Amino acid sequence: MIKQNANPILEIHDLTVSYDQSPVLWNVDFSLPSGKLIGILGPNGAGKSTLIKSIMGLIAPSSGYVKIFDQDLDKVRDKISYVPQRESVDWNFPASVLDVVLMGTYGKLGLFRRPGKKEKELALSCLEKVGMTAYVHRQISELSGGQQQRVFIARALAQEADLYLMDEPFAGVDMNTETAIFQLLQEMSQSGKTVIVVHHDIYSAVNYFDWFIMLNQHLVASGPKNEVVTEELLRKTYGGKLNLLSKVSELIRQKEFNPLKE
Amino acid sequence: MMTFDQNAFQIIFTASLIASSCGLLGVFLMLRKMAMTGDAISHAVLPGIVIGFLVSGTQRGLEVIIGAGILGILATLMIDWLRKKARVQLDASIGITFTLLFAIGIILISAFAYRVDLDQECVLYGEIAYLPIDLWITDSGISLGPRILWIAILNLVLVLGFIGLFYKELKLTSFDEKFGIVIGIPASAINLGLMSMVSYTTVSSFEAVGAILVVALLVVPPATAFLWTRQLSRLIQLTLSIGVIVSIFGYYLAYLLDSSIAGMMVTVAGILFFVSVILTRFQVKSRIGTQIEAKAFSS
Repeated sequence: MIKQNANPILEIHDLTVSYDQSPVLWNVDFSLPSGKLIGILGPNGAGKSTLIKSIMGLIAPSSGYVKIFDQDLDKVRDKISYVPQRESVDWNFPASVLDVVLMGTYGKLGLFRRPGKKEKELALSCLEKVGMTAYVHRQISELSGGQQQRVFIARALAQEADLYLMDEPFAGVDMNTETAIFQLLQEMSQSGKTVIVVHHDIYSAVNYFDWFIMLNQHLVASGPKNEVVTEELLRKTYGGKLNLLSKVSELIRQKEFNPLKE
Repeated sequence: MMTFDQNAFQIIFTASLIASSCGLLGVFLMLRKMAMTGDAISHAVLPGIVIGFLVSGTQRGLEVIIGAGILGILATLMIDWLRKKARVQLDASIGITFTLLFAIGIILISAFAYRVDLDQECVLYGEIAYLPIDLWITDSGISLGPRILWIAILNLVLVLGFIGLFYKELKLTSFDEKFGIVIGIPASAINLGLMSMVSYTTVSSFEAVGAILVVALLVVPPATAFLWTRQLSRLIQLTLSIGVIVSIFGYYLAYLLDSSIAGMMVTVAGILFFVSVILTRFQVKSRIGTQIEAKAFSS
């Protein structure tokens, strides 16, 4: 079940990515509509992070291409924002929360120009959106996991992009932060931004996203929630794990009774 | 017995300049977890020095610095290639690269020893004490002061210029290189630039403090400062202060004990580091911790 779009914000054509000759992603081909909150689902090792990294040009694909806003990546870098996995950096780095969020403005500043008052105000407003105003001058080594995640999201917001790619923003954060971040993502997609999120928890995913990409090295599905969140497709994505499957059927049943469902 | 004459001042001043250049670059090497790349580069430049020497016939030619610079960049590229393409671990890539290049340098020196007035000693151990008698004299016979002092000034000016121009890029790529690449910052060019500056600084300083001791100045002052602060601007200030303290105490201790100035500088740096470890671990850390806390709440 792969639903293509006429005017896609992101188009991936026949993408194959391999590490050391063994492919991690096989012939992935889909296109995404704009203004949606999109979840990438799949088991461990399904290639979710690899997919995001190849979209961002951090991994060179063996074959296939990626088009964003119908352009090559290099032409639209200022319209794309990236939230890497929290563990990908060393939080002992000597920087304050404000320093890190200001890094989001570096791309538009270009070489040689330093962030000024305008950039600082933007960074502060981004910190306000993620509820971190009280921590502006805190050193990042003193933050909790959830706070680190919020700082990373604030940095992405400071890029003022149209397309956001986030790698596991809900990993290792508490329920409170998860809800707060999700609300923010929803507001972003309502104001026309496209947000693509790698997510590992299928139960919360059903409530969070309105478009799904299901991945297990091959693309299993890409489409709106009510068309692709089916027992068959989830089983194909997650393989034959029995206890998981029974939970999945339960989940489908719940979903059908979900009054919030569109 | 303690004297503060012009010679002492010139030596301490030059040593402080060299320690500052090394410290400034060392901060970013440390933050990139590449401190040992500095070590690798300082050894890998040897063949470049020898080739430059063979071409120019003098230890002081521009060819020597260019040769060393090229080898430094080559070493950086080789380490990077081994790590990324051949999938060798970083520490192993460093070990393979610098021992190989250093060995080539040694072979070159011994092969051309009959026509080259250059030996391993002069590259590995410098002697800053000769600084006041090694003067820069113009063709018209005017003395402009110690030659090595001028070399150190030029080095620090270029290092300051490099870090001043690319401060924000260096900061971002040291913290989160992938994010830098994604937002279009030329991360690999910045990295190569930093490594070229390290190569140049190594060669520029080896006459005074020797290639091995340059490594200590690259690594120890930033590591000591990092024990005391988690703020980049203060980390840099503290690194520079440690460089000056090390130069002053290194000089006078060497004077008292009649030993090598560069060796004593590094010993002082090592002692400062261990004292800092003990102080920050056992008492002062709690005090500084609460200060940071108070600042965060008041703002």
